[in-house]
Amino acid sequence: MEDADPELLRRMQRGDEAALEMLYARYGGLVFTLALRIVGDAELAREVLQDTFLRAWDGSEMYDVGRGRVPWWLMGIARHRAIDLLRSRPHQSRLREREAAPATAAAGMAATSAPNLPDRSEVVAVRHAVIRALETLSTGQRQAIELAYFGGLTQVEIARELGEPLGTVKSRTREAMERLRGLLWPLLGPKEGSERP
Amino acid sequence: VTRPPDHPLDDLAALALGALDLAERLRVETHVAACASCRERLREYREIAGGLATALEPTPPPAAAWAAVSAGSRARRPPGIEGPRRATLGGWLRSARWPAVAAVLASLMVWNILLQRELARHAPGPDPGPEVSALARRPGRVVILTGSGAPGGSARLFVAADGGHGHLAIAGVSPLPTTRTYQLWFVRTDAPVSGATFRVNAQGQAWVKVAVPPLETVRAITVTEEPAAGSPAPTGPRLLEARLPAEPGR
Repeated sequence: MEDADPELLRRMQRGDEAALEMLYARYGGLVFTLALRIVGDAELAREVLQDTFLRAWDGSEMYDVGRGRVPWWLMGIARHRAIDLLRSRPHQSRLREREAAPATAAAGMAATSAPNLPDRSEVVAVRHAVIRALETLSTGQRQAIELAYFGGLTQVEIARELGEPLGTVKSRTREAMERLRGLLWPLLGPKEGSERP
Repeated sequence: VTRPPDHPLDDLAALALGALDLAERLRVETHVAACASCRERLREYREIAGGLATALEPTPPPAAAWAAVSAGSRARRPPGIEGPRRATLGGWLRSARWPAVAAVLASLMVWNILLQRELARHAPGPDPGPEVSALARRPGRVVILTGSGAPGGSARLFVAADGGHGHLAIAGVSPLPTTRTYQLWFVRTDAPVSGATFRVNAQGQAWVKVAVPPLETVRAITVTEEPAAGSPAPTGPRLLEARLPAEPGR
């Protein structure tokens, strides 16, 4: 039986490289996919991927069970690193514009099989559920979520980008997150006895 | 469940998505630290945000990426220690990844300069006075200190571009008895250097003028609680802390 994610982290703390490799096998694809979506450059995304797992390995980032499941924690590290890189790019505005375009609707998202992701029905079910949940959002709600999470924009920047009042963006964001929470919490929230999706 | 209007519900969603600017984030995090219901809601939002990436069309990483991670994991082990390093300062000091760090440093510099005015404008606490106002109009750096040792507490260190001095804005920490003081430390590779001792007002706030060593020698900045006269070296737990990125060639 495979170790649950927290056990892999405990083994990593003891210097077990096999545990790191297993964690990478489980989530390396997901981290790379997210990083690529944010930075839009394969080389930079690879840098984010490597940095994310090395930070998890060397304790630069410490897992806190109160912050959610292990893969979501890894996504958080990767997202921060990716946005740091994105914001440091000289042509960040252009990159953002390019990235913002497919961020509307469910563009760029698909329920296809996942190379380098664990081929488990559970993972596929999570992906389908997230896609379906995103599709229930209005276009404005989806834009607000995606420009924030994948575009790295603040609420003020999103309001400027969309030409909408800040209050509208804020309420759309909350409404969207509330809806996603209602639909996805049973799937994405903590699970008894397992930290894996 | 109906919540009182002073709960920043809109901002909790934005915080989970990383979409608040620094001043807003500090404000909301301060509230969350003291509000169990918002803390729980934020935790739920963060779980949802974490799962959003699963909806992206998967792209396999380059095959060479794992080799780099594997090599990096071996390189990051300190000599004589079998396991990976924990989140100790010494461990962190040796963990620089130069291209990424250089990029982050560059972004930090720009980011800090842009945010300085905003932070000065929104900083809680007593009137910072003309010195801080002048500082905020000049290029420099802002370092944010946070930490679980002082729930709800935070501090911002404004450092002049030419170094040597700065100001620390503190909010959300507990007033101390007269026998104790807070002390700011600049942790360098050789030894920690005291930047200031200070006490906070009844609202837990203070503005403090600080002697700042060259930041390129500083790896972390911390606040501890010490005896009233201050200590030559930190003795109390780290209440607030910021770690500074290492720089290439250091």
